[in-house]
Amino acid sequence: MEFLEQTKGAVRVIKPRGPLVGPDADQFKKRATEAASACLGRLVVDASAVAYVDSRGLEVIADLSEEMTQGGMSLKLCGANETVREVLELTELAGMVEHYSDVNSAVRSFL
Amino acid sequence: MVASTGLAVAAILLMAIAGGGAWTILSQRQLARDELSARVESAGRLLVASVEPLLGAGNESAVKMLLLNATKEGEFRRCRLVGEDGELVADGAPPKVAVRTKGSGPARAEPIPPGELSDPRYINASFEVVTRSEKMKLELSREVVYPRWAGWEAQTGLGAAGAAGFIALLLVYRRLKRRLRGVGAIGEALRALQRGESSAAALEVSGRFGPEAAAWNQLISEREQLRKQVAGERAKETLGTRGDVKADLAYACDALWQGMVMVDDRLMVRYANGAAAIFLRAKREAMVGASIEEFVKDPALREAIRGVASGTVRHRTTIEMKRAEAEGGGVLRCNVRPVRKEDTTASVVVMIEDVTQQRVADEARNSFVAQATHELRTPLTNIRLYVEQAIEVGDSDPAMRAKCLDVINSESRRLERIVGDMLSVSEIEAGSFKLRASDVRLETLFEDLRVDFAATAKEKGIELRFELPPKLPPMRGDRDKITLALHNLVGNALKYTPEGGSVTVKVEADPSSVVVEVIDTGIGISAEETELIFEKFYRAKDKRVDGITGTGLGLALAREVVRLHGGDISVRSELNKGSTFTMTIPTMAEAA
Repeated sequence: MEFLEQTKGAVRVIKPRGPLVGPDADQFKKRATEAASACLGRLVVDASAVAYVDSRGLEVIADLSEEMTQGGMSLKLCGANETVREVLELTELAGMVEHYSDVNSAVRSFL
Repeated sequence: MVASTGLAVAAILLMAIAGGGAWTILSQRQLARDELSARVESAGRLLVASVEPLLGAGNESAVKMLLLNATKEGEFRRCRLVGEDGELVADGAPPKVAVRTKGSGPARAEPIPPGELSDPRYINASFEVVTRSEKMKLELSREVVYPRWAGWEAQTGLGAAGAAGFIALLLVYRRLKRRLRGVGAIGEALRALQRGESSAAALEVSGRFGPEAAAWNQLISEREQLRKQVAGERAKETLGTRGDVKADLAYACDALWQGMVMVDDRLMVRYANGAAAIFLRAKREAMVGASIEEFVKDPALREAIRGVASGTVRHRTTIEMKRAEAEGGGVLRCNVRPVRKEDTTASVVVMIEDVTQQRVADEARNSFVAQATHELRTPLTNIRLYVEQAIEVGDSDPAMRAKCLDVINSESRRLERIVGDMLSVSEIEAGSFKLRASDVRLETLFEDLRVDFAATAKEKGIELRFELPPKLPPMRGDRDKITLALHNLVGNALKYTPEGGSVTVKVEADPSSVVVEVIDTGIGISAEETELIFEKFYRAKDKRVDGITGTGLGLALAREVVRLHGGDISVRSELNKGSTFTMTIPTMAEAA
């Protein structure tokens, strides 16, 4: 899985490219955890290039959200397509993450 | 007390044994003496009854034989017949056997020694013997011989038995002494319990008093545990609501995105929420109970915490702490304030807030204001100068006046564009950036673009090419906004391409979308900045960019416009070789 990482202001944006499934999901979790730790939780996951998510991907999102919550923060997703959003709704994970339409909106939420 | 009671009982028992023994001996002795007295009395009466007829018959030698035999048989130490005048008539004692004989002088009876009659060792008896002519006295005396068991041997035996009993009693007492003391101690504890004493320490007795004491202590221990359990349950019931509130507060603190650390007056961490652990790069479990100085390296913050903890500082202190780049960078704003409450040991609360993004935003805003001021001042200065020159030349130099008006016109348009960009940015920020959809003729749009930039390209010595397909599909969208996006892309390409370079606008289209590539041979963009350049107010760090005017809004606006049409802009670039911006936009997309 390919990851694009960039910093917007003081916010780290990580953009996985491809479906969030199986081992790729674990790889994403590792990268996201490292990124969150490096920038004190100022992390946005740009899901605009994630076509779909399987059970492992959902598990990773739940784990990341839980870890962020313990630090008083929350996982911020942006640009997720309708398929991903629907899966999050059906699995009741949507309430555990913040979702924004685009990266800028997500970054602005840290202000 | 129990010990003294035991000793008294033992003494009484001993005295009873001794008294009983003595009474038995004395009573047996008296019994023996009485029996002997009776025998002496009986023997005396028998002798009197026998002697009187013999004396009456004058047979004194028979009397003598009778007394001799009686002395022998009765074990008398004295058995004699004495006349009224003290004359010894007959004596049964062998050496003194005598009888009154005619012609011989009368024998005198030896008087009984004084004190013998009252001596308890002897039994003395005297009987009257009456004949026709005279009265005589029969004196009997016998030594008292006690039975063996009533003598000193018996006394010694009884004493030995008493002593043995006493020793046995002592041994038993010694063995029971500790346990008796334990029982006594338990009795004392029971009395204390009755008086209202409830402390387990006061009610417990020493364990060396034996099993009864151990059992008592266990009973007291169980009672104490039960009491504590009951008290705990009552306390739990009483404090249940308060505990719930505390738990809720802990959860609430964990939900804070600000870090919160409570520190006592010894600088020990009493509480830290999750955000604090992240900001201080520590584990919560490791923080609680440890010194705050292990986690805070900033000298100013340390000093502030020390000041509040020691009580020398009583007001809130705010410190901004910059983190090293190696630790992820950023700015943490720390509020140190005192907490003085009687029911808590914490004396300092440190609130930590991550203000990095705010600082970055502030810097970007300041940079934008500075840049925008510069951008606005340049055309305004040009306009003012050329207006003054036009006024000065008046009608005397029509060519110069026309040139001045041309420059004023150009600078006015530039000014309008800058202000327009700023307005668009504020609309985007406010969420009110809307498209006004209409039919767009792309051929006309690109032709206008060519005209607009032809002069600039020529002026910079840059070849500007347009590669368009023979026929472009009709498109629906906001013409002005699409023109703005294309203007920004082509304008940037010309701006950052050195003299002698080229800029190519290549258009490909199908019925559903149009792809526009703006290819330049300019200075290029570093890989790290290819995404950053689409951020508002961002300008590349390349030194060559510093001398070129710009607000850093063009690409951000262009991408925003294209995304509002359902498309996107991407970039491929290589430093010093050039860049290619690709704009993909659907032809029939419903404008946002």
